[in-house]
Amino acid sequence: MVEREAAELFEEFKELTASEFFRRNKQMLGFSGKIRSLTMVFHELITNSLDACEEAGIQPDITIDLKRLDKDHYILKHTDNGPGIPEAYITKVYCTMFAGSKFRNIQSRGQQGLGCSGCVLLSQMTTGKPAKVVSGYYEGGKDKGLKGVELTFKMDVKKNQGLILDRKEAEVTQTGVSIELHFKDVSYSLSEQGAFEYIRRTMIANPHAKIKFRDPTGQIFIFDRATDVIPPLPKEVLPHPRGVTADDLIFMAKHTDKRRFRSLLTSSLSRMSTKRVNEIEEETGIDLNKRPRDMKWEEAEQIVELFARMDFMAPPTSGLIPIGKEQIDKGIREILNPEFAATTSRKPKTYRGGVAFVIEAGISYGGDSGRLVGEQKKAEIMRFANRVPLTFDQGSCAITEALKSIDWKRYGIRDLDNAPITVFVNIVSTNVPYLSTGKQSVAPEPEILHEVRQATMKIARNLQKYIRAKRAAKEEAMRSKIFENLVPVIIREAAVLAETDVPEYDSVLAKVTRRAKFENIPLESEEGEDES
Amino acid sequence: MSHNNKIANRKDIAINKLKSLGERIIEEINQNNVPALKVPSRGTSNIIYDEDKRYYVLGDRYGQRSLGNVKQIPKIAQMVYVANFCKDLVRRGKTATLREMYYVSEGWDVDFGDQQESNIVGEDLEVTLGMTREDLGLMPEEDGASVYGNLIMKEDDVEINALRLGKSGYTISPTIDDVEFLDHDVDKVIAVETMGMFHRLVQEEAYKKFNCLIVGLKGQAARATRRFLRRVNQDLNLPVYICNDGDPWGFHIAMVIISGSAKLAHVNHDLATPDAKFLGVTASDIINYDLPTDPLKDIDVLRLKELSKDPRYRDEQWQMEIKKMLKIGKKAEQQSFSKYGLEYVVDTYLPEKLDAM
Repeated sequence: MVEREAAELFEEFKELTASEFFRRNKQMLGFSGKIRSLTMVFHELITNSLDACEEAGIQPDITIDLKRLDKDHYILKHTDNGPGIPEAYITKVYCTMFAGSKFRNIQSRGQQGLGCSGCVLLSQMTTGKPAKVVSGYYEGGKDKGLKGVELTFKMDVKKNQGLILDRKEAEVTQTGVSIELHFKDVSYSLSEQGAFEYIRRTMIANPHAKIKFRDPTGQIFIFDRATDVIPPLPKEVLPHPRGVTADDLIFMAKHTDKRRFRSLLTSSLSRMSTKRVNEIEEETGIDLNKRPRDMKWEEAEQIVELFARMDFMAPPTSGLIPIGKEQIDKGIREILNPEFAATTSRKPKTYRGGVAFVIEAGISYGGDSGRLVGEQKKAEIMRFANRVPLTFDQGSCAITEALKSIDWKRYGIRDLDNAPITVFVNIVSTNVPYLSTGKQSVAPEPEILHEVRQATMKIARNLQKYIRAKRAAKEEAMRSKIFENLVPVIIREAAVLAETDVPEYDSVLAKVTRRAKFENIPLESEEGEDES
Repeated sequence: MSHNNKIANRKDIAINKLKSLGERIIEEINQNNVPALKVPSRGTSNIIYDEDKRYYVLGDRYGQRSLGNVKQIPKIAQMVYVANFCKDLVRRGKTATLREMYYVSEGWDVDFGDQQESNIVGEDLEVTLGMTREDLGLMPEEDGASVYGNLIMKEDDVEINALRLGKSGYTISPTIDDVEFLDHDVDKVIAVETMGMFHRLVQEEAYKKFNCLIVGLKGQAARATRRFLRRVNQDLNLPVYICNDGDPWGFHIAMVIISGSAKLAHVNHDLATPDAKFLGVTASDIINYDLPTDPLKDIDVLRLKELSKDPRYRDEQWQMEIKKMLKIGKKAEQQSFSKYGLEYVVDTYLPEKLDAM
């Protein structure tokens, strides 16, 4: 055995770029399994387009074309009508990991900033083919005219940046981005976890968008927008003291331009008054007038521990933009074409004492609600976080857990699993508590479970009323029919029995059928009759 | 009134009653009312043991069949159809079984879910009109008992002598009410549970020895058998004696003949023979004659306990016999007398028991 000295060993020590890291760990981006990988690509591109359009105040109009070249080999062309990307930023958006505008305390669809570059990475890893992007955009005012550029590029994973292979001026008629990517080792599926279902669900939660999708068989699906209302942009809100960690405080302290820790606290956290700061100083004995950079880890920990014991007002909810009761209703009606739908949007609540969230729920019955399994309609649960469908890890999700804990029999649904029902639940928050990095299931915080239950039970009561009324109407029609069939028969046979002519009986028939309409509970006047 | 007149009279009554059912409905319609029929309830709570009559009767509770009630209207429709079917049967002098009626009903504008349902409507009609289904032309499926002895009957134009029909005797027809009793020279009737015992009595010429009619019940007595026994008892004034197996089931076969069944409470006035007497085999017989026995099974014990609480067994003698059988824990078949020779039952047992009555 030859001993090797440290210097020699450390010659092999390399720094991994983010891109290189994710190249080796692509499952951390959600790219595990053929079906799931493709769904994640759709997810990243669609949410990106929706976010871009909303930020620019444009009604989203997305066209997706998925062609199959070979088994498991696809070309995806994704086009939106957003503001476009200036040429200089194109490779940053698509080739640099952790770039973007999503590192603020703001309600947004994506939260990692990995999305688009992840798709390019997956394409490159599975096919070796470059990505092609056409961007139409305005730069320096509309009067300078619409610019159009087409870039063909690869990702240099070692450097975490783009490598342009080709550049062309492009003829464009409107703003927006069109990206073309090749994929292998992915699979298009109509299952609940597949790409198609992802689009369908996205459309319910985003009724202001329009998506045109051509599937690998060439069939074109147009999901039209159900409303013209573009959701307002969420505002950034300061974090609530209950929602921060010691690490967050140290991070803030390092990146602030404030000169005293005291003013850092009041300016960086919500609900933090001078009175509260004084209380903190008194309780902890820490000098809050010192420079933020001098804050020690132990002190930060002490302050965070104190936050947990202090009484704060609930966090501001102005940063939360729910879809809204009416908009969910429109989305459900457009996509599920139900017999009946009810929706609700709850008031903001907080979990862990400091993170605001809103639960919205919808229930849809009949029509295209539920999933068709063989001949039987099964209930389906559609989970969303900030309008984004959660398609995996259903079992461990707080939304599923809350819905399963409801006693559906009380709402006239004897067997939820086998009812033509779709239950829609959206959680809106600046900080959705995901259970894992895949961000596909919500942690079962007691407050979230409670809100999901309350929201769903409220609309389930409306559904119950509807089902009852429907049953009653059906029963009544059946009853009227019984009378209309049997009364003439009885009178005819009675006349034969009595050996007389059939008398006029219209008014008696009218009497009994009218009576049937008013009696909702069938008469059980068979006193003591048990036919034994 | 001659028998033929009686039959004609029964027919007229049946037709009139059926007709009146239709008239009741038409009358209500003419008065612009919603017709409703009262049907006496046959639920267990409305079946009452009548101490004076010594059989089960229906109480005065009744159910409603209203044209204005969605659950009841199909029953009225079924009832009216059945009534028309019966009226046609009676008028044409025909009979049909319930099964046949069920098949005929396939062509009607109202369904029967199954035969059970059509049977119930038949019973509804019986209780509503207060007539037996035989009067309405609806016959049971099965034949009645066998009768051997010097009884001369007339059915239509045929004269029947129950002594001249071979060793198996005369089989009681479901249409027994159409049969006229012409003549006889017997002074009692002995009914036995099994055909084995029936043939024993025929071979030993018991009909001569006891000057009786021998009736082989073939287990639980059919409606026609019970009607026949009631008629020979009431019309011909003949005492009826019953000799069955010595177990709870034998007891009850006798009791249904004597006091009627709960299920047929609405027609027991035509079926029960309250004066019929149970000869044996009793628990006392088992002891006194030292008969070969089988131990009582659990189900026998259970049944005996049920019987002891039944109002029909309230009589002291019955209570004593039930207790005794439970105490000895044994039962015996009627044929067990052959332990003492085949002739013993006729030579010794029956004379001794008849004497004691």
